[in-house]
Amino acid sequence: MKLANLNPTAAPPDTKVASQTPAAAGSGKLRFFARGLVPYAYLSPTVILISVLMIVPIAMVVSYSFKDNVIVEENPVLVGLANYTKVLTDPDFLVALKNTFVFITVSTVAHLVLGLTFALMLNTSLLGGVTKAVFRIIYILPWLFTVAVIAVIWRLLLDPSGVVNYLLTTVGRMQQGVDWLSDPGTALWALTFVNIWAGFPFFMISILAGLQGISSDLYEAASVDGAGAVRQFLNVTIPQLRPVLVSMAVLDLIWTSQQFALIWMTTGGGPLNATEMLSTYTYKQAFSSYEFATASASAVIVLLLSLVLAFFYVRLQKER
Amino acid sequence: MSGSGTRVRNRLRQLIGVTAVTAMAATAVACGSDGGSNEESSSGGTVTLEFAQWWAPELPEGSFDKLMTEFTAQNPNIKVKLLSGPYASTKQQLVAGAASKTLPDVVGLDGAWVSDFAKQGAIADLTELMADAKYDSGQLASQIKIKDKTYMVPVVNFVYPLFVNNDLLKKAGVTTPPTTRTQFLEAAKKVSALGGNVKGWALPLDTAVPNGVQNDVMSWLWASGGSMLTEDGKANLTSDQVKGTVEFVKSLNDANVIAPGSLTMKEQDKVEKFTTGQVGMVIDSLAHITLIKKNNPKLNFTVTPIPAEDSYTGKRGIPYASWGIGVSNSSKHKAEAFKLVEFLMSKQTNAQLSTLANGFPGNKTATPDFTKSDPLFKTAFGIYQAGYPANEFVGLPKSEDLMRSFDEQLQLTLTGKQSVDDTLKKAQESWSSDLS
Amino acid sequence: MHTRKRRRLGAKIAVFTGLCLGAAFAGLPVLWMLSTSFKANGEVFQVPPRLVTENFSLEAYRSILGDPDKLRFFVNSYVVALSVTALTLFVAILAAYGFSRYEFPLKRSVNAVIISVQAVPPITLVIPYFGLVVALGLYNTYPGLILTHIVFTLPYAIIMMTAYFNTLPKELDESVKVDGASSWTALWRVLVPISVPGMIAVGVYTFMISWNEYLFALTLTRTDNMRTVPIGIQLLMGQHSYEWNQMMAMSILGSIPVLVLFLLFQRRFIGGLTSGAVKA
Repeated sequence: MKLANLNPTAAPPDTKVASQTPAAAGSGKLRFFARGLVPYAYLSPTVILISVLMIVPIAMVVSYSFKDNVIVEENPVLVGLANYTKVLTDPDFLVALKNTFVFITVSTVAHLVLGLTFALMLNTSLLGGVTKAVFRIIYILPWLFTVAVIAVIWRLLLDPSGVVNYLLTTVGRMQQGVDWLSDPGTALWALTFVNIWAGFPFFMISILAGLQGISSDLYEAASVDGAGAVRQFLNVTIPQLRPVLVSMAVLDLIWTSQQFALIWMTTGGGPLNATEMLSTYTYKQAFSSYEFATASASAVIVLLLSLVLAFFYVRLQKER
Repeated sequence: MSGSGTRVRNRLRQLIGVTAVTAMAATAVACGSDGGSNEESSSGGTVTLEFAQWWAPELPEGSFDKLMTEFTAQNPNIKVKLLSGPYASTKQQLVAGAASKTLPDVVGLDGAWVSDFAKQGAIADLTELMADAKYDSGQLASQIKIKDKTYMVPVVNFVYPLFVNNDLLKKAGVTTPPTTRTQFLEAAKKVSALGGNVKGWALPLDTAVPNGVQNDVMSWLWASGGSMLTEDGKANLTSDQVKGTVEFVKSLNDANVIAPGSLTMKEQDKVEKFTTGQVGMVIDSLAHITLIKKNNPKLNFTVTPIPAEDSYTGKRGIPYASWGIGVSNSSKHKAEAFKLVEFLMSKQTNAQLSTLANGFPGNKTATPDFTKSDPLFKTAFGIYQAGYPANEFVGLPKSEDLMRSFDEQLQLTLTGKQSVDDTLKKAQESWSSDLS
Repeated sequence: MHTRKRRRLGAKIAVFTGLCLGAAFAGLPVLWMLSTSFKANGEVFQVPPRLVTENFSLEAYRSILGDPDKLRFFVNSYVVALSVTALTLFVAILAAYGFSRYEFPLKRSVNAVIISVQAVPPITLVIPYFGLVVALGLYNTYPGLILTHIVFTLPYAIIMMTAYFNTLPKELDESVKVDGASSWTALWRVLVPISVPGMIAVGVYTFMISWNEYLFALTLTRTDNMRTVPIGIQLLMGQHSYEWNQMMAMSILGSIPVLVLFLLFQRRFIGGLTSGAVKA
C-alpha cells in the first residue's frame, strides 16, 4: 500500500458518467437533480450536528465579544471592539500567548521526536513479536488515563517531597530537590514535560502505522544501491512518512493549544504567571472575574489563531 | 439491462433512506428533551426541590441524606433531590446555571461568591422570604447582606486556628505553642532546623483556587485586629498593618521556614504535609481534625489561636469559612425552598449538622454536641468564643479575583522580584478598580 | 560473517536498551499510580517512598466496587462512550462515503469547515454550549453528553474514514451499482464489510476520547446518576482532602476497558491507521 496519496477530498475519478443511453434522456433532469443531492444527503447528519452544536455556540461567543456585561446583566450594551483592545493590551494576555507558543511548539516537537524514535524501535525486525507487543502496551499506557488523573499523578510525583526529588537527591547526586511545578523558572518546562508524557502515544501509534505501510520493496531497492541504515532512514523512511508527520504535527499543535484541564489542575497558571496559557487566561476571565465579554473576545482571538493552523492543514491536504 | 429509470428510483430511494436517518436522529434529540427536563415539576401536590451543594461528600457517608429524609418526614409534601458536586467545580456550575436560569432551587454558597450571584440576580433576597414566612432571624449568628438585603445564611462555620504538631515542636525545643509573631518565627526556625524534609510552616498560594490569601495570609492581619478595608468598604492595602503582615510573611520566607512548593501549593497539599509531619504548624480549618486523625492516628497535635503582633492585646479575629445557603431567584418554589433553609437552621438540625461537620452552628441557640466529638474541637470552641469571626472577603464583589490579584503580587515579593511596598501599591490599584 | 552476527547482536542490545528506557519513561508513573492505589492514605508521602508498604491493601478497590453510586459512574461511562462510538461511526461512514465517492460544488468548503471545527478551543464554548444544551432540554441527560462528544470526535473520525475509503478501489462499489443496487446498498454491503480495520481504528479512537472527556462531562451533568468516571475521580478530591488511594484505584479501574479494547484490537487498530488514517 502506497503512502503517496491523498487528499481525502479528491475522489477517484468517476468512470461511469458516460453510460447514457437515449432511453434515459427523458428522466435526465430528475436524474440529474437526484444525483446532485445524494452526496448532500450523506453529509446531512454531519452538517446538522455541526451547525447546531458548533456553529451556533461559536456565533454566540462572537456576539458576546462585542458587548459589555454579557450574562451578568440582563441587557448588555454593544461596545464594538473595546473588549478586543482590552484583551490585546493586557500584559497577562501577552504572557499567556508567549507561554502557549512555547508550550505547544516544544510539546509538538517532542511528540514528533519521541513518537518517531519509539515507533522505529517498536518496528524493528530485531526483536520478537511478543516482546514488541509487550512494549507496545507499556508505551500506550499514558494514553489510557483521563487528564484529571494525569494531573494528580504528576502533582504527586513532582511534589517537592515526592518520588522524583527523592530519586534525584538519593540515587542521583542532586544536593537539593527542585520545586518543579512551583518554581517560576521550571514550572513551564515541568508542565510541558507532563504534556509530552501524556500525548506521545497517539503520535507513536500513528507513526508506527505509517512505518508499517512503507513497502519493503523500497528498502530492498535502497539496500541494493548500497544504502546503510542511516541512509535508508533519510532517503526512504522520512520521505515516505512525511505526510503523516506533517499532518500529525499540525493536528497536535491544534490539540495542544486547547489543553486546559491539565494546566488548571497542576499549576492553575502559576507560579506568578509562568504557566498562564490562553486557555487558563480565558477561563479566569470568565469564571473568576465574571468578565464574560473579555473572555469571549479572548476566545475569539484563540479561535482565529487556531483557524490559521487549520488553514495550513487544509492547504496541506490540497497539495497532496 | 438496467434502465436508467431504475437508477433514478434507486437514487431517490437512497436519498429517502438518508433523510430518514437524519430525521430519526432529530427525533432522538427531541425525545431526549422530553425525557430529560421535566422531572422537577410538581406532581400531585408534592414539590421536589433541587439542592446543589458540596457538603454531602464531605460529611460521613449517608448522613446528609438522612437529614433530608427527616425534612421530608416533617414536610410530607416536599421532597429534596440532592445535587452533590466537588467543591472546586461547584462555583463554575453555579455560574453556568445562573447564566442559563437553571439554578437549582436551593444552593450551597461560599461567602466569597455571594456578591457576584446577587448582582447577577441569580439568588433571591432572603429578607423578603423571611418576612413572608414570618421567620425570626434573631436566632441566626450571622447573615450575609448586600445593600442591606440578606442573600446568604451561613449554616455551618469553620474556623481556622493554628494547628501545631506537638512532637515536632518538642523535638525542636519549643515547649509552648507560639502566641506572638516573633515567637512563631523563632519556633518555625527551630522546627526547620530539624532537617530532613521538615519545615516550620506551609503557605498554599496556588492561583487556581487562591483562598490561601484569605486563610493563610490575611488571617495574620485579622488576628491582630487589622483590616484590609476602609470603614466604607474600599481597599486599604497600604496601611501599616497590612504592610506589617506581608513583611512578616516575607520574613518567614526569607528565613526559609516555609515548606517548598508554596507558589502552586493547594489547600489539600497543606493538610497533607501537616498530616505526614512535614510541617510543624499550619493555619487550617477545624473541619480537618477528623481527616488528619484518620490518615495519621499517631500524630500528636493541638490547636491554638493564630499568633498576633507582639504588642497586641485586643480580641483576636479568627478567620472562618462557611457552608452558606441561598435560594435561587428562578425557583418556582421559593416558599418551600425557604422551608428547607429554616429546617437546616433550626436549633436541633443545625446542632446535629455542625457536629457531623466539625463546625460551629449558624444558629446562635444551637450547641454542638461535644460529647461525641474530638476534645480539640472543644478547645477550638473556646478560642472561637474568646475572639471574633473575621473574614473580610465574605460579601465582596469578585472576591476570588481580589484574592488572585493579591496572590500574584505577593508571589512577586516572595520570589524577590518586587519590594513589599510595590506589591501593596499594585494590589491596592487593582483592588480599587473592583471595590469602587 | 561472524562480525555481522555480532553487530546484529549489538544492535539488538541497543534497541532493547532503548526500548527499556522508553518503557521506564512511559510506565513508571503508571506503576507508581498502581502502587499508590494499594497504600493507606497516610502513607502516600512516606519518606523514603516505597513501592509496597506494610499496609498493602485492596481496601480502595473494595470501597469502589462495593459502592453502587461509584459503580454507576462506570455504567454511565459505558453508555456514553459506546453510544458515542456507534453514532460517530455511523455518521462518519455516511459523510466519508459522500466525500470519497462524490464530487459536488460545496465539497471543499464543507470539508474545510469540518477540519476547522477541530480548531475550536472547547473551553471557549462552555458557556454558550451550556445555554444551548439547556435550551434543547438535554441538560443532565445521556443524549446531551453523547451529542456533545460526537461533535468533538466526528471531525477526526470523518478524516480517518474518508482516507480509508479512498484506499478502496472505486470499482468495488461501482460493480455492485451496475447490477442495479443503490449506492446505499453498495456502501453497507460492499464497502463497510471490508472497512472493518478502519472502523476499528476510528472506534477505538472515539471510545477513548469519550471515555476520558472531562470538561463537558463535568459541565453538562449535575447528578451523580449521570456523571462519568473522570468526574467520579474528581469527586474524590474534596474541598479539604484527597482520597489518594481511591482516586488511583478508580483511575486504574477506569483505564481497564480502554486497555482491554486496545489489547483485543491493537493489530487491527494499527492496521486501520496504516491503510487510512495516517494519510489524512
